Amino acid sequence: MAIIDLISASVVKVPLKSKTKTEVIRELVDVLFKADKLSDTESVFKAVIARENMGSTGLEKGIAVPHAKTEKIKNLTLAIGISPEGVDFDALDGEKSKLFFLLLAQPNQSGPHIEALAEIARITRSQNFCRMLTNASTPEEVVELFTED
Amino acid sequence: MDGPVNKIMVYVDGTEESITAAQYGICLARATGAEFYALYIVNTRALSDLVSAKIFLQAEEEEYKNDLELDADRYLNHIKQMARDKGVAVKTLKSSGSVNVEIKNKVNENEIDLLIIGELSKIRSRRDELYNETERAMRSVNCSVLIAKDEERVWTIYNQLV
Repeated sequence: MAIIDLISASVVKVPLKSKTKTEVIRELVDVLFKADKLSDTESVFKAVIARENMGSTGLEKGIAVPHAKTEKIKNLTLAIGISPEGVDFDALDGEKSKLFFLLLAQPNQSGPHIEALAEIARITRSQNFCRMLTNASTPEEVVELFTED
Repeated sequence: MDGPVNKIMVYVDGTEESITAAQYGICLARATGAEFYALYIVNTRALSDLVSAKIFLQAEEEEYKNDLELDADRYLNHIKQMARDKGVAVKTLKSSGSVNVEIKNKVNENEIDLLIIGELSKIRSRRDELYNETERAMRSVNCSVLIAKDEERVWTIYNQLV
């Protein structure tokens, strides 16, 4: 499954309102709940926070890829959030994170989970594409960028 | 004399599409008398990419590798059972590394003449073309490739096989 199959305007939040790491995770989990992708926000939130406590998924150059395994979803699920101002996500380079990919998978979906994360890793290598995403002002624009690129 | 298809291999990755491909492969193996192989690849290349990208911690790499090993055994056993139910012998193969490279290697090593894969995602972005591992394998293997489509029809054919 390509990650484009996981992306629709309903799972994209632009701009994020959050100002802290935990708020970002909470906001993205809520986006997925509203999009009817998960059944229990609290346990999903806790699973993502537990993973972050092992080591931040805030990478370099403004990108963060929080992820977790959870039983509280039906299928592999992705939410994308964009914070033009940036949020301190304990990133490796100390910079604020602006582009967030929250990926959730069921515990028995390790194969698709890994492939989706690997695809996100490849996509985010393109600084130009990340810049375009960060400059997007609507969820539809984000979807269009993935579809066209 | 050899027939047009003597060795069929299905690539299984745990998706519904690949299970459909396996059902179709079992039907074809029964119809042609070809030897039937099922291959699962533990994608260790993606795991190391994720560690390099710092998305995965070292501990996560181990945990997910174990998960993938268990998935491999579970799915290959499932294919074995499906084949056994229809009186088809299956040779299961488990490998690790880069998916497209390992598919090509196993096709060559086992002299496979027909590779069956599950339906691919619709191309909605150029990125799909560039990065889909199964599609890369389809393009690079030396044998013929069949993409199993129409899950319902395949299930009916498989189910009716006595």
